[in-house]
Amino acid sequence: MPMRNSVHRARTALEQRPLAAAVGGVAAFLLVLWATPASWQTSTLRFAVPIALAAIGGIFAEKSGVINIGIEGLLIVSAFSAIVVVNRLGDGGATAGLPNLWWGMLIGVLVSVLFALLFAIVCLEFEADQIIAGLAVWLISLGLAPFASRILFDSPNTANITRFENVTVPVLSEIPFVGYLLFDTEPQVYLMLAGAVAGWYLLSRTTFGRWVVASGENPKALDTAGVDVRKVRYAAVLLSGVFAGLGGAGFGLGTLGTFAGTGDTVINGRGFIAIATYLLANYHPIGALLGSFLFAGLNSMQNGLQAAGYAIPTELIRTLPHMTVIVVLVFVGRTRLPDAAGDHYESGED
Amino acid sequence: MRDRLESIAERLARASVVDRLVISLAALVTAVLIGGVLVFVSGAFASCRTGLEMGGATFCYNPMQVYYELFLGALGHPLEGGWTLTNYSLATTLQRTTLLIFSGLSVAVAFRAGLLNIGTQGQLVVGGLATAVTVVYAAAVVPSGFIGTVVLIPLGVLAGALAGGVYGAVPGALKAYADANEVITTIMLNIIAVGITSTLLSWQFQDPNSPNPQTAPVPEYAEIPTVPVVGFGGRMDFSLLALAFAVALMIGIAWLFARTSFGYELRTSGIQPGAAAYGGVDEKRMTVASMTLSGALGGIGGAFWVLMVHGRWIENVPSLGFDGIAVSVLAGNSPIGVGAAAFLFGIFDSGGNAIGTATDVPPELVGILTGLIILFVAMPEFFRMLGRRYVTVDSASPARTDGGDAGANDGGDADA
Repeated sequence: MPMRNSVHRARTALEQRPLAAAVGGVAAFLLVLWATPASWQTSTLRFAVPIALAAIGGIFAEKSGVINIGIEGLLIVSAFSAIVVVNRLGDGGATAGLPNLWWGMLIGVLVSVLFALLFAIVCLEFEADQIIAGLAVWLISLGLAPFASRILFDSPNTANITRFENVTVPVLSEIPFVGYLLFDTEPQVYLMLAGAVAGWYLLSRTTFGRWVVASGENPKALDTAGVDVRKVRYAAVLLSGVFAGLGGAGFGLGTLGTFAGTGDTVINGRGFIAIATYLLANYHPIGALLGSFLFAGLNSMQNGLQAAGYAIPTELIRTLPHMTVIVVLVFVGRTRLPDAAGDHYESGED
Repeated sequence: MRDRLESIAERLARASVVDRLVISLAALVTAVLIGGVLVFVSGAFASCRTGLEMGGATFCYNPMQVYYELFLGALGHPLEGGWTLTNYSLATTLQRTTLLIFSGLSVAVAFRAGLLNIGTQGQLVVGGLATAVTVVYAAAVVPSGFIGTVVLIPLGVLAGALAGGVYGAVPGALKAYADANEVITTIMLNIIAVGITSTLLSWQFQDPNSPNPQTAPVPEYAEIPTVPVVGFGGRMDFSLLALAFAVALMIGIAWLFARTSFGYELRTSGIQPGAAAYGGVDEKRMTVASMTLSGALGGIGGAFWVLMVHGRWIENVPSLGFDGIAVSVLAGNSPIGVGAAAFLFGIFDSGGNAIGTATDVPPELVGILTGLIILFVAMPEFFRMLGRRYVTVDSASPARTDGGDAGANDGGDADA
C-alpha cells in the first residue's frame, strides 16, 4: 500500500527529532554522571547490568516480531535460581573445577532460557496474545520465586551468598578516567559490556540479524526468500532469554547476593524499565547500554543522596527511575515498532 | 453503516460466548492440574516428618489436601460438622469477591476499549488513600450517627472514584496524546503510587497514635454498615450491602456496554479502531475517557477496601488490582463474567489463608495459579487444537482474550 508507506515515511521523519533530543538528554546525563563520586559511577555500572542485558534481549525478541514483556519474569527467575544454585552447591566453593558462582550463572541463564522457550511455544505454536502471555510469565515468576524460596529457606527471601569479586585487567585498568571503571570491576559488568557489543554485531552485521529484522518487518518476504520465520522467531526469543538470564543472574550474583521475594521482588520492575530503555534507544544495543546508565545512574544517585543523609522523602525519590521511564516514553512514544510486532505469522497465509 | 457494524459486532460476541466459557473453564482446570503437579514435585524439596515415600524421595505435600483446603477452606469447610453459612472464611471470600468485582470491572472496561490497564493496583492505592483522608477530615464537620453514615460513605466512595479516575486518566492521556505504551506507563505508575502515597502519609496523614504506617481510623458510623439479622455482622469485615453495590455496578457496566452509545463506541474502539474512527469516534478522547472510567472503578475498589475492611488506609495494600487483571482475563472481559471470576479469585484469596494454616505449602501457590490461568486463557488456540483432535466442532470465530489488538501499540499503523 503506497498510502501506508508514505505515512510511514512522514512518521519516520517526525520521529528523528525527539529521538535526537533523547540521545542528547542521555549524553548530557552521562556528562553529569562523570562529575559524580567514583562510588556512584561504580554502582551505576552495577545497577545497569540487569537493565542493559534485559533490554538487549528484548530488542532481539521485539525486532523479530515477538513483544516479550515477560523479561521482568526472566530477570526474577534467573536471579533467584542463580542464588539458589550457589547456596546449594556451597557458598564460596567450586564444583567440578568451576567456581559455584559460575554454576549459578550457568543455571540462572538456563532457567531463563527455559521460561523464554515456554513463552515462545505459547506465542508461536498456540498464537497466544503476546502481551497477555508476557504478563502471565511475569506473574508466574512473581509467585514461583517466593514459593520456592519458602520451601528452601522458610522465608520469601533467600540466604546470603558471597558475591562476585572485582577482576582487574592489568595495564588497561591504569587508563585514566575510564580504567578503574571499565577494567577493574565485577564479572557481570564485563558481561554487560561484551553483551552490548555482541548484541550490536549480531543484530546489524550478521545474516541472522538481518533475518531477525526481516521477520519483524516483513515476515512474508522472509518466508518467500525461503527462511523459516518461525525458527527465526524462536531463536530470537530464546536469545532474549539468554541475555535476560545473564542480566538477572549477574545482578543476583554480583550486586544483590540475596533474593528478596516480597512484593514486586528485588527486581522491582527493572524488566519493564529495560523495555522503556530499548524503546528510548530505538532498538540499538549500544544505545540500550547507554540508556541503562540513565536509569541506573538515577538509582545510584538516589542511594548516594540517602547515604549522604539528605532529608529527602526516600519513598518518592526511590521512584525517580520509574518517573523517568514515563517521561522517556512520552518523548519516544512514536518509536516505530517493527511492522509485524505482536502479530502471529502463519506460513502460507492468504 | 453504524447499524450494520453493530449487528456484526453483536453476532461475533454471541457466537464466541460459549467458546470463551469453555476456554476459561479449560484454562482453570489446566492451571489447577499443573499447580497440583508443582505442589507434589516441590514437596520433594521440602522437609517434613511424614510424607509419601516414593523412589527414595519423600514427597511432603498432598495436592488433593491442598486443593481441598483451597476450595472448601474458603467456604469454611462445608463438608465438615458444625458448618454455618455465615462463617468467617466465607465472609473473607465474599469480601474479596466484592473488591475483585471492582478491580475486575476496572480492567475489563479498559480491555474492552482496547487498552491494557495494568494500573488498577495504583489507582486503587491512590483512591483508597483519598477515601480515608476525605472521610477522616469530613467527619469533623459532619454530624455523627445515621446522617454521618449517609453523607460520609458516598462522599468517601466519590473521593476514591475521583482520585482513581484522575490517576487512570494520566496514562490515558499519555497514550492518546504522546503514544506512550499504556502497559509500561501503568506498571510504572503502580510503583510511583506506592511512593506518592507513603510520602503523603508520612508528611501529613499518619495516625499519630499508631506506630504502623496507616491513616487515622474513619469513625465507625462511616464504615460500610452490615445488614442486621441476615448475618456476616460483627468483626467479619464484610457487608452484604457492599456486595450488592458491586453487583449493581457490574450490571450497570454491562448495561453501559450493551445499551448506551458511549458503551458502543468504547467497544468498537476496542475491536475495530479504524471503523470507530470512521464512524466518528474521537479516538483520543475515547482513550482518555475509558481509562478515566477504568481508574474510577479501581478507585472505588480502594474506597471499599478502606471503608469495609480496615476502616482506615494502611500502607500495605493487597494485590487486588493485579488480581483484577486475572479476573477480567478469565471473564473474557465480560462484566457479568467478572462476577463469577471474582468469586473464584475470592476463593483463591481466602483459600490461600486456609492453605497457610492447614498445610506447609507456601501460600504463594495462589499467585502461581493466577499466572497460569492467565497464560492458558491467553492461548485459546491450544484448547481449540486439543478440541479438534478429540471432538469435531465447527470452530467459531476466534475469540480474542483482550477484545482488541493490544499488541500493536502504535495503534494507527495497524489499520492505516
